[in-house]
Amino acid sequence: MKKIIIKTGGALLLTLAATAAQATATPQWCAEGKPVKFAGVTWESAQFFTEIANFIVENGYGCKTESVTGSTAVTETALVSNDLQVWVEQWDRTNVIKKGRTDGKIDLVGNILAGGTREGWFVPDYVVNGDAKRGIKAIAPGLKSVADLPKYKDLFTDDEDPAKGRFLNCPSGWDCERINNQKFKAYKLAATYTNFRPGTGGALDATISSAYERGKPILFYYWSPAGLMGKYKFVQLQEPEFTEKCWKTVQNSTTDDVCGTVTPSFKLTIGVSTPFIKGAPDVIAFFNKLSVPADIVNHAITEMGERKVGGSVLAKEFLQKNKALWTQWVPADVAQKVELKL
Amino acid sequence: MSFEFFIPISFSEVLNSGINNIVQKYGDGLHDISTFMLRYLMVPLEGFLQSIPPWLVLVAVGLISYHALRRVRLSIVFVLALYFIGCMGLWEKTIQTLSIMLVSIIICLVIGVPIGILMARSKLLSRLLLPLLDVMQTFPMFVYMLPAVMLFSIGKVPAVLATVIYALPPLIRLTELGIRQVDQETRDAAWSFGTTKFQLLMWVQLPLARPSIMAGINQTTMLALAMVVVASMIGARGLGEDILQGLTNLDFGKGAHAGVAVVILAIVIDRITQAYGMNRRQRSQLTKPE
Repeated sequence: MKKIIIKTGGALLLTLAATAAQATATPQWCAEGKPVKFAGVTWESAQFFTEIANFIVENGYGCKTESVTGSTAVTETALVSNDLQVWVEQWDRTNVIKKGRTDGKIDLVGNILAGGTREGWFVPDYVVNGDAKRGIKAIAPGLKSVADLPKYKDLFTDDEDPAKGRFLNCPSGWDCERINNQKFKAYKLAATYTNFRPGTGGALDATISSAYERGKPILFYYWSPAGLMGKYKFVQLQEPEFTEKCWKTVQNSTTDDVCGTVTPSFKLTIGVSTPFIKGAPDVIAFFNKLSVPADIVNHAITEMGERKVGGSVLAKEFLQKNKALWTQWVPADVAQKVELKL
Repeated sequence: MSFEFFIPISFSEVLNSGINNIVQKYGDGLHDISTFMLRYLMVPLEGFLQSIPPWLVLVAVGLISYHALRRVRLSIVFVLALYFIGCMGLWEKTIQTLSIMLVSIIICLVIGVPIGILMARSKLLSRLLLPLLDVMQTFPMFVYMLPAVMLFSIGKVPAVLATVIYALPPLIRLTELGIRQVDQETRDAAWSFGTTKFQLLMWVQLPLARPSIMAGINQTTMLALAMVVVASMIGARGLGEDILQGLTNLDFGKGAHAGVAVVILAIVIDRITQAYGMNRRQRSQLTKPE
């Protein structure tokens, strides 16, 4: 009970103080009683980012928030039609988003992952360097780049087609799947490898973890920020240096005339619907500043997996531990309101 | 409120560490089983099915459906419908789906019919297993799908496992029901002619239970077909792949193509297995003009 009094008292004082100093008013969008609907994106890093943004919008800006879960295509379409207002961790890859931007229905703001993304083809570290602790010998010390793959096809045997190796692609229908299909052509692997699609991100992670825990060789596509990146040690295979010309052929899924290139690093952003941009410019200003270093994100994702806690728990822990970082994103009075809820 | 009404209970930690232990200790062995199944059962079966020229499959389906249904026109419609699947460019994927289904159904038959017979014999066993069957049918498969991937590798084998768990219960139930339904008088008659228990089962109970068992097979087949999309989520190829892609990319057309193919398959298989499940009187009525 005492606690409650202190809290309400504090809140009252704070409200007074906030009114006295130049206060950040509740954004018009929220003042009208409309909830801010966040896309409940399915992967962990996005959940972490979403919960951070959600917590600050709800407690700092006094908005009602909701989270709506669905597949990427469904939530992105909902964002374009303003059924959802915020879509955190946008990779700006899909046609829905591209069209939404050219039509002026949505915009992408901010740069939430300091340093940007990393994507490529990986093998576990012990395949190349061995692991003395677990007694695993390096079975492919010469495996450095994608050009070496044909030599090592027998290490990655595909049980459904034993004459070939297996490359674990991105889940069916993801943008990275199309890009990998093109790279698969560019590196001329069709004769020695099967292009195996794991179906879902969960199945991809389960397969990688299972192989890693058993110390078996496996060749797969992966990316950062992502859970297994912080948990296990992977080696990225070298790919030809980046050229704009080749990247275009890799992105164009219909051409057979394709040359290989490493995937460039991308800026991760927050997708917001245009009506929301107009209705809550203060929130957009905060989104523009939100930026978390990659090691914090990868660590948080690993924690989510290991402690089996949701993004909301880790987002709160992040806010508690990194005050110096996030208080720079918002005006002082908003920061105070957020702190009260931590 | 310093106490909670609900006592906190969680067994998720135990299960998670349990799965990890099993993967580390027995993962290799289980993967070997999975590889064995793939190399000696599933891959050869699919290879065989893929090697049959499509026209031969169509002719065979035509003959079988005529034999089952005794209707020329309906058989032609079925053949045309399957031909249409090929026209949509989905023949290869259909065969992939069929081969996963076939393996699942064979496993269901091998496990399900004997269990059904035993359950018909023993009330106790029946009482013990019925709740388990309920769990198998209702427990969301997404929960055990990923552990299955960790244990049995990705692709066809965990897909078959998930399909069997989901599709097996109706076969067991209907086998049990069919055998229980055989009249006491019929059995008494058989006893009075000096039958052994085994002869009673083989020549009296099973034949009389056939309509019920065929209904079970029919149900199992339909449920197995319903699993194609789920199977594709763990890397099994086939029609489900297109549906999943349609889903992730909001490509309604592509998903609809595969969806139509699944419906056609379902109707053809359903009608044929149903016809074989009819008893003699119902079948004789098929041949009469409408």
